[in-house]
Amino acid sequence: MSSIDIELVAVTKAYGANRVVDNVSLAIPTGEFVSILGPSGCGKTTTLNMIAGFAVPSTGDIRIRGKSQKDVPPEKRGIGMVFQNYALFPHMTIAENVGFGLKMKGRPAVEIQETVHNALRRVHLDGFERRYPKELSGGQQQRTALARAIAPEPSLLLLDEPLSNLDLKLREAMRVELKDIQEQLGMTFVYVTHDQDEAMAMSDRIVVMQHGVIAQAGRPVDIYEQPGSSFVADFIGKSNLLPIKSIRGDASGWSISVGSAGLVLTADAPDGIEKSAARYCCIRPEAIRLTVSEEDRSTPMNGLKGRLIRIVNLGAYLDCFIMLEDGSVLKSLVRSTRLPALAVNQTVFLSIEPVAVQILTH
Amino acid sequence: MNRFLSILFQSSLLLILAFIALPLVVVFAASVSPTAVISFNPSEWTMKWFGELTSSRWLDPFLLSVKLATIVTFLSGVLGLLAAYAVAYRKCPGHEAIMAFLLSPLAVPQIVKGLAIVLFLSSFGFYHLLGTAGLVMAHVVLTLPFVVRMIAGAMYNFDRRLDQAARILGATAFQRIRFILLPIIKPGLFSGMTFAFILSFNNIPLSVFLVRPGETTLPITVINHMEYSLDPVLAAVNVASLAFILAAIFLFERIGGFSTQIHGGSK
Repeated sequence: MSSIDIELVAVTKAYGANRVVDNVSLAIPTGEFVSILGPSGCGKTTTLNMIAGFAVPSTGDIRIRGKSQKDVPPEKRGIGMVFQNYALFPHMTIAENVGFGLKMKGRPAVEIQETVHNALRRVHLDGFERRYPKELSGGQQQRTALARAIAPEPSLLLLDEPLSNLDLKLREAMRVELKDIQEQLGMTFVYVTHDQDEAMAMSDRIVVMQHGVIAQAGRPVDIYEQPGSSFVADFIGKSNLLPIKSIRGDASGWSISVGSAGLVLTADAPDGIEKSAARYCCIRPEAIRLTVSEEDRSTPMNGLKGRLIRIVNLGAYLDCFIMLEDGSVLKSLVRSTRLPALAVNQTVFLSIEPVAVQILTH
Repeated sequence: MNRFLSILFQSSLLLILAFIALPLVVVFAASVSPTAVISFNPSEWTMKWFGELTSSRWLDPFLLSVKLATIVTFLSGVLGLLAAYAVAYRKCPGHEAIMAFLLSPLAVPQIVKGLAIVLFLSSFGFYHLLGTAGLVMAHVVLTLPFVVRMIAGAMYNFDRRLDQAARILGATAFQRIRFILLPIIKPGLFSGMTFAFILSFNNIPLSVFLVRPGETTLPITVINHMEYSLDPVLAAVNVASLAFILAAIFLFERIGGFSTQIHGGSK
């Protein structure tokens, strides 16, 4: 975990005046599972293509195991890649697909056969050696692509939205398998996705990108609990974002006026944020406690009153939309078992721990 | 209504097939006709006209046409592949203009091309190229656009992520062409080469300008023969040519597997 496998040093990719990737620096330690997460057009795929060597940085440098890749073509980088559409060779059998990398390196046939067999067993496709890609289901093609990428045992594997063409059940199963394989092989994984659940489920570290720059990078739990911006708060998980009007208070706690009509929230004073810089506060829906009677409220702080205007049933949980007296709407996540006690248009009481009120500067 | 439409489509298809096939049936019947005049009488038939095809009068032109078509097919396959690779795959500078130029002979009538080639050869002192060399040149000019078009079509459809996938797996440029690009565009290459073979083997308008006396291709020999007589040996020649062409198409298909490209069959 100690040495750095890939390093991006102030990498910029510009097409004319359009900076698709803008001054991105990132160091990825060996064996880490890193997700680059962002909406389409944020520059995540371009970043991956630059690591692979399919795109050349306009400025900046990419180092793999300490060596600059400026004049190294993709075929000499010794990395593996799994493509979004799998890019399996249609005219080759599964075994030929998986053995292709080793064959190109001129390994003996016996060794290729054994490695192919092991790789296919690892992705639970043993027995499929003689089939052709089009005879396989989407999930099986996906596994073949993974086996093909890991068969030459690269130290680094790039994955470009590899699960996006699979249905939900398969996607969730593959998340677990991908993570298992990554841990067993000790490979560095750089995983590009727009699906925050995927990134949260598998990553050691998430790099959130927006407009070609890194919006925030950190452990999934940190990014979720302490989003650095309203963009990150909104993109990762669900959140209630409220623009801040004014703040009073000191280091022991802030009193924040939000929304249009005098709604005041109490929050813990954040580290390193000046009152003048605070723009939004973010409250996760699961941090808003919803009760039907005022007495049940656990904490006297941030007690709010509102009207339940909509209930969206998510299965195990309910998304409740509550309109406050000033007209602003908050989302609260509650267990489905409480459904019988809730009714639309009913008056409800909300309470929010001050620690759950996150202050954001942008 | 759907049923009515479906019957309509099926009967139109049958009519079209009959329209294509019936003249061939007449030729086939004539080729086994016992009388010297082309006629059709199913009760009596003979293979004697086919026996005449083994005489050097017919065999030599046939062999020349086969040799010519084989050389032309090979040459236009190689040249077409190289041209399509540069233009359609690598998209070299000016590739659109070059592609238009490569396809432009399609727009020139063959008679005009034939005349132009013979005038060019004679006015620049290349008389000695008349005959096989000139025929090869002229036929390649004719067939190259077809071959380029078929290969370019396959290359435009080629999924470049396959090339990227091979590349990241360590394949050099040469290995990627050999193991990925060529096998995938092979049906396009072979269907283009099949066109080239048929076009060259059957060609009259270009060949008529370029053959040397006593060294003519099969279609020209047929035309020459027709000026004097219209006997069943012509029908026999045509039936034999048709069988040969069908055998050639079958062979190309077995090697190139292009029927999958046309009707999307599975491996």
